[in-house]
Amino acid sequence: MADSNTKELYILAEFESAAALYHAAEKMRDAGCRHFDCHSPFPIHGMDAAMGLERSPLGWIAGLCATFGALGGVALQWYASTIAYPLVISGKPFFSFQAYLPVTFALGVLMAAGASLFGMLGLNRLPQFHHPLFNSERFKRVTDDGFFISAIAVNNAEGDKLQKFLESIGGSNIEVLKD
Amino acid sequence: MNTTAKDTKSLDNPGTPLITGNQSFHSVTEKISGIVEAKVSPYWYLAITISSLLALVFFGSIGYLVWEGIGIWGVNVPVGWGFAIINFVFWVGIGHAGTLISAILFLMRQRWRTSINRFAEAMTLFAITCALIFPGIHVGRIWAAYWMFPVPNQMGMWPNFRSPLLWDVFAVSTYFTASLLFWYTGLIPDFATLRDRAKTKWKRLIMGILALGWRGGNRQWKHYELAYLILAGISTPLVLSVHSVVSTDFAVSLVPGWHTTIFPPYFVAGAIFSGFAMVMTLGILARKIFGLEDFITVNHLDKMSKIMLVTGMMVGYAYMMEFFIAWYSGNEYELFTFLNRAFGPYAWAYWTMITCNVLVPQLFWFKKVRNSIGALFVISILINIGMWFERFVIVVTSLSRDFLPANWDYYSPTFWDIATFVGSFGLFLTLFLLFVRFVPIISMAEVKGVLPQADPHHTAKEQAKG
Amino acid sequence: MMRYDEGTYRITEPGSFGTRSLIVGIAGLAVSAIGYFLNPAQFFHSYLNAFIFWFNIAMGSLFFVMLHHLVAARWSVTLRRLAENVMMQTPLMLLFFLPLLLGLHDLFHWTHHEAVEADLILQKKAPYLNITFFVVRAAVFFGVWNAVSVLLFKASLKQDLNPEEAITKRMRVISAFGIIAYAFTFSFASFDWLMSLDAHWYSTIFGVYIFSGSLVAIISFLVIVLFFMRRQGILRNMTTTEHFHDLGKLLFAFTVFWAYIAFSQYFLIWYANIPEETIWFRNRWVGSWKGVSLLLVMGHFVLPFFILITRSAKRKAVFLTVMAFWMLFMRWVDLYWVIMPGLQEQGFNLSWFDLTAFIGIGGIFVWSLLKRIAAHPLIPVKDPQLKASVEFISE
Repeated sequence: MADSNTKELYILAEFESAAALYHAAEKMRDAGCRHFDCHSPFPIHGMDAAMGLERSPLGWIAGLCATFGALGGVALQWYASTIAYPLVISGKPFFSFQAYLPVTFALGVLMAAGASLFGMLGLNRLPQFHHPLFNSERFKRVTDDGFFISAIAVNNAEGDKLQKFLESIGGSNIEVLKD
Repeated sequence: MNTTAKDTKSLDNPGTPLITGNQSFHSVTEKISGIVEAKVSPYWYLAITISSLLALVFFGSIGYLVWEGIGIWGVNVPVGWGFAIINFVFWVGIGHAGTLISAILFLMRQRWRTSINRFAEAMTLFAITCALIFPGIHVGRIWAAYWMFPVPNQMGMWPNFRSPLLWDVFAVSTYFTASLLFWYTGLIPDFATLRDRAKTKWKRLIMGILALGWRGGNRQWKHYELAYLILAGISTPLVLSVHSVVSTDFAVSLVPGWHTTIFPPYFVAGAIFSGFAMVMTLGILARKIFGLEDFITVNHLDKMSKIMLVTGMMVGYAYMMEFFIAWYSGNEYELFTFLNRAFGPYAWAYWTMITCNVLVPQLFWFKKVRNSIGALFVISILINIGMWFERFVIVVTSLSRDFLPANWDYYSPTFWDIATFVGSFGLFLTLFLLFVRFVPIISMAEVKGVLPQADPHHTAKEQAKG
Repeated sequence: MMRYDEGTYRITEPGSFGTRSLIVGIAGLAVSAIGYFLNPAQFFHSYLNAFIFWFNIAMGSLFFVMLHHLVAARWSVTLRRLAENVMMQTPLMLLFFLPLLLGLHDLFHWTHHEAVEADLILQKKAPYLNITFFVVRAAVFFGVWNAVSVLLFKASLKQDLNPEEAITKRMRVISAFGIIAYAFTFSFASFDWLMSLDAHWYSTIFGVYIFSGSLVAIISFLVIVLFFMRRQGILRNMTTTEHFHDLGKLLFAFTVFWAYIAFSQYFLIWYANIPEETIWFRNRWVGSWKGVSLLLVMGHFVLPFFILITRSAKRKAVFLTVMAFWMLFMRWVDLYWVIMPGLQEQGFNLSWFDLTAFIGIGGIFVWSLLKRIAAHPLIPVKDPQLKASVEFISE
């Protein structure tokens, strides 16, 4: 990847509406193109299927972290109340699991919440402040009212092919972006 | 492929759109980013001057408290919990509406929430900030506050995990953290919008850092949407648990009027009730000041009033059940406490509470009231007052006349009690004013998502018709 | 085999299932009647258990329908008539309530004069806990529930002919007032019929506790009915996996809600440890009752929580139906756990009457339900939101 000739090319094409982007995504998918992404100012319903993406694994990550958080909570309370600092409080056993539920629950939720945000960022490889797409002035509209497809080509020949294809499915203002 | 079930028409009146004024994606961006980018109005300076002065009163009172000790407050021998706990419960409760709007209404597919969730969540954060200060200062010795956390220390001392006050520490701080993460998750795409619109280098840099390099690609949205769903999913039980835990501060005790099994859900309903009242108060102000009538429509206010009507009646149900069971239990202390609330020295507080929380919300049965901005504004403030008095009634009446008549005493707040409470509004409003100045007060990405043209089948349908 | 006309959404040929359940029901009740003579105390407790179980399904349905109108839900429009049919079993439940009046003495300690005379607390409660007022209250409760159910059902049938906006509105108004009346009547009914079994014990949340259980019961019941109807080819094109998914979500949510309420009640009483309250849980921790208590914790919460939280469990109709059966079983166990320890103090002791009373009332309930299902179109054909409901996607 060090050689600038072999660097990936980003072909950026603009579409006029959410609907146009959606149908273009379906065509990209059906044409067997895999390295592309659809950019929009808001999530478009059904786009995952239109692009042929799988479900995000984030649910499992959050669930796992919640379990660790809750188990850690139990362990902490068990240790503090029975080993480190046993105290008789209102005649209750040292290990009063009923009374430990609020804290256990809170710690489970805390871990799951952290896992959701940071897991999402991790899966998205964010923060990433430098990206070829940011070289495009037009691409700034993606957070306003612009709809774009960016496709990755490994060499110029593939880039030309992708450009033509994107044009044929309704893309306009096509740009080729390099790092 | 579904489209029709998710159109942007509101559930109630299939004819009314959620967002009025025939908005395009660009006009939404312009309108909402415009508030942050515009030149600061002199009114904002005026408002923040007043609110920061109030906040200074707050911190000044706390400073004096730390210097002098809690003797400056009105707490006395039977009433050891005064304004500090009342204000704590009051502020935590205010926060609950923000989470309800952002999480529970999201799970229930109530798409009208998109206009109000951002500032309701901000309100949550600031309300919890105010709330967390009170238990911190009410111990008197602030420098020992770290005893509440399970940190290994030279005394070999650990907190008591069987104490509801410690559950509070965990529940409320988890609540704050989770709400902050949820809020920030929602903000990422909007920060990206501000980044891409930025005119100055500094602004681009700051917004760019906050936006984390968001590109709006569907491969990002995929994870993002699930993260949002999970955060909503865990915030829902969290918000129930937080006020339930707060209620256990009272309900696990033996004190008559405190120990009653309906407390957890009753506190949660009351919290949502009071929180919606605060969202309503702030929402009415915000739409007026920033011209957001197309985004926070009368329709939104109408729905919020209905939620207040329901939660208000839940609270009324709890008042009634408590009273009935106090009699039914055959326990003389219970019955005395409730009769004392209604007819004793604090009857004025009790009937203020009943009037503001149960009777006044009945006006929401009338559509005229629900659609009159002035009436809603007044009622929402009355409900805030009523809910503050609810906590006053619970905390003070039960303690002031406990089991031993020899110990009975009347509790009255001092100047410093009131200054601290009023001052906490200063902190709240200052934070809120800073928020409306620097952060988009309505979630642009979410509002765009509920516009009709956001539907990927929109044009196809329109063409088929025309 | 049932036959069904997809054009009119009507059952054209009811099949023999209804008749068969009627026979089972009558047989069950007949056997139970023997119990009345052999062991009246056991009989009435078993009968009360079965009665409350089926009654909760009907009442849960009434709530479901009212909630549907109040929030103007769309996804559940195709399920509305089904729920309305269940709701209309309330008058039948009144019929089943009457035999309990014969057993007040066997069920309720506070009906014994000599016991009240010897007990200061019961004397204090006597203005509320006395037979006359008890019967009057029951009459009021059933009056309210029947009135609301019938008004809603009539309006709904009217909408089938004439989809006016005014009817939708009318149903909403009935529901708004109905739900307020419901909150109080249902709570006091729970106090009267279940909480006062232990005349000293009290808990403010008790009405909400029974209510939360009835929500679990009705969602489970709807899942099961929908599943078997679809197997018969009924409502196949009007309901989709999405409806199972949403029912599954509700089942999950209400199961968690039940656990939340149950835990709140237990937790506060456990912590404060006031003898007059704690005794109720103590009685459920004696001998084999301990096992039942643990079964409730695991079976009514932990197990369904971890199963129903997954997406696939909610979207596979067969699987969800199995879970629904399990949850209904747990509902029965929960009520058994509330009712029986007063009678069987040392440990639970299953009786034949538990089963016969259950299938007795249940058989007739199902027969009556099927009759009503066959009498009207199976969906609110003219509801303005019907199309949206069929096409909706659960996310």
